[in-house]
Amino acid sequence: MTTAALNTISQSALKNRPRDGIRTFARVSAFGTSAIIILILATLFLQSGPAIFTASDSLFTARWNPAEGVYGIVPMVFGSLFVMVIAMSLALPIGLLAAMAISQMRHQGLRRLTKSALEILAGIPSIVYGLIGVAYVSIWVAGAFDLQSGRIILTAGLILAVMILPTFLSLSEDAISSVPRAYQENGAALGLYPYETQRAIILPAAAPGISSAALLALGRALGETMAVMLVIGSLDRLPRPLFNPLSSGQTITSKLGREIGESAFGSTHFSVLVLMSLILVTLTIALTIAARHIVKPGSPS
Amino acid sequence: MFRKFLALSITAASLAGLSACSAPERMSVSGSTTVLPAVSRAAEQFTADTGQLITVNAGGSGSGFNQLAEGQTDIGMMSRDITEGERAQFPNFTFMPIAIGRDAVVPVVSSEIYDAGVTQLSLSDIAKIYRGESDNWAEFGGPDKAIFVIDKESSSGTRQTFMDIVMGSSKADAPGADLVIGSNNEEQTAMTQSDAAIGMLSIAWLNDDVKGLSVELANGEIVTPTLMNVQNGRFPIVRDLNIVVRNDISAPAQSFVDYLLSAEGQVFVEQSGYIKIK
Repeated sequence: MTTAALNTISQSALKNRPRDGIRTFARVSAFGTSAIIILILATLFLQSGPAIFTASDSLFTARWNPAEGVYGIVPMVFGSLFVMVIAMSLALPIGLLAAMAISQMRHQGLRRLTKSALEILAGIPSIVYGLIGVAYVSIWVAGAFDLQSGRIILTAGLILAVMILPTFLSLSEDAISSVPRAYQENGAALGLYPYETQRAIILPAAAPGISSAALLALGRALGETMAVMLVIGSLDRLPRPLFNPLSSGQTITSKLGREIGESAFGSTHFSVLVLMSLILVTLTIALTIAARHIVKPGSPS
Repeated sequence: MFRKFLALSITAASLAGLSACSAPERMSVSGSTTVLPAVSRAAEQFTADTGQLITVNAGGSGSGFNQLAEGQTDIGMMSRDITEGERAQFPNFTFMPIAIGRDAVVPVVSSEIYDAGVTQLSLSDIAKIYRGESDNWAEFGGPDKAIFVIDKESSSGTRQTFMDIVMGSSKADAPGADLVIGSNNEEQTAMTQSDAAIGMLSIAWLNDDVKGLSVELANGEIVTPTLMNVQNGRFPIVRDLNIVVRNDISAPAQSFVDYLLSAEGQVFVEQSGYIKIK
């Protein structure tokens, strides 16, 4: 075929391609996605209005009794944060060290096997984790700490840690692996020990990727409902003493999961539940913005 | 809990599959886990007899009412009365509770505590435990062990009946609670896993691991939790098991309600461990 013939074909193909159609569709999709986010936030704001006006005197207390019109959300907010901190402080160090180990694996087959196992782990539905939590983990925890029930904050934190680990591990391994091999070789050429190379060169270079992996994990930890709901014990009260992980508790998500079906649409009760989800969303957004400002993508020094 | 849930959802799924290809419209009943066993047994027989497909879902009394009020289910199951607040939220409809059986809510303890000698408590003792004023079994003749207090979710009919008689108000707070659970199945499991727990269960759920306590009344009379004492009215913590319908009830739903109240339907109430209404 001659060049001229090729040109004619490609030109006619270009003419027939509905390029404007695709462009419009892409734009509509992009705007549509942003609109959904705005719509969700607007709905949450509107629906939580009544709570702020009619339940304002009890809202920031630690007592919850909808039948008497007492809606203290402090235990739930505290519970969400507490469980998240436990899960993150277990999953981050383990995940990071494991990611470094996997990225150093020389055996490609073994590395692929580990990675795909992790990806499968990340895809297991949360109810499965919840079932395992109720049937086994809560009983082990109860046995280990000699408790009457293992449905406590610590169990929820443990389950969550396992749930967020694969996401965090897999993404931070990608970040570490994508640091050019030359960096590592330069480190070796400078006479650094491998751990020095890792700490001073590889990790700083992979930091933006690792921190976004941590954020994704954080988002899942805050938003996870089913598994937490089954193992946390549903106690609408602050733990005594406050930082006692062996007490039952309640997170925002487990509260919503348990009670959204019990509250009539439009009631104060419903509105307070919406307010709690607004707090959850705001928290996630705030963390995202904060992390962006703390970790600026930098090059290894 | 999960086995039953699974079985129900499989039934629901297969019913959905059936209804997609054959004519009769599926009817749904949902709400209290206390009322559920009797209704789901009756529903099975009713479907076999008439071909009318019925899905029975658990969800608790509060959720049963809400779903009925919002038109998501044909019949609600409630193990308590409808509150004024609930009625007020849906002024456009009238709701009729229909008692299909009677039940007792029994204070229960772990078998270890029962075997160690705590076989009866007075109503005021139980109230003290739930208020958090008593926290050791030694105070009631049991072993020197902290009392593990299991409470139920506030919308639970079991809890409201129990709190009404024991604490004097169906909405009472229980500051002594250590764990809050949702359904009767969950409660049964939690009780079995613990060796120093107290909780509340519908009489149909008692077994060897979960022992019902005799209740000492204010006049000193001691009443054991037996079906006979529920029937003759001596046991103090009793309630009606209700199904609730809206004024615009459909004809098939009405015929199922009639079936539940018939002699044939009442058999299932008894089979589930409750007292029949007639």
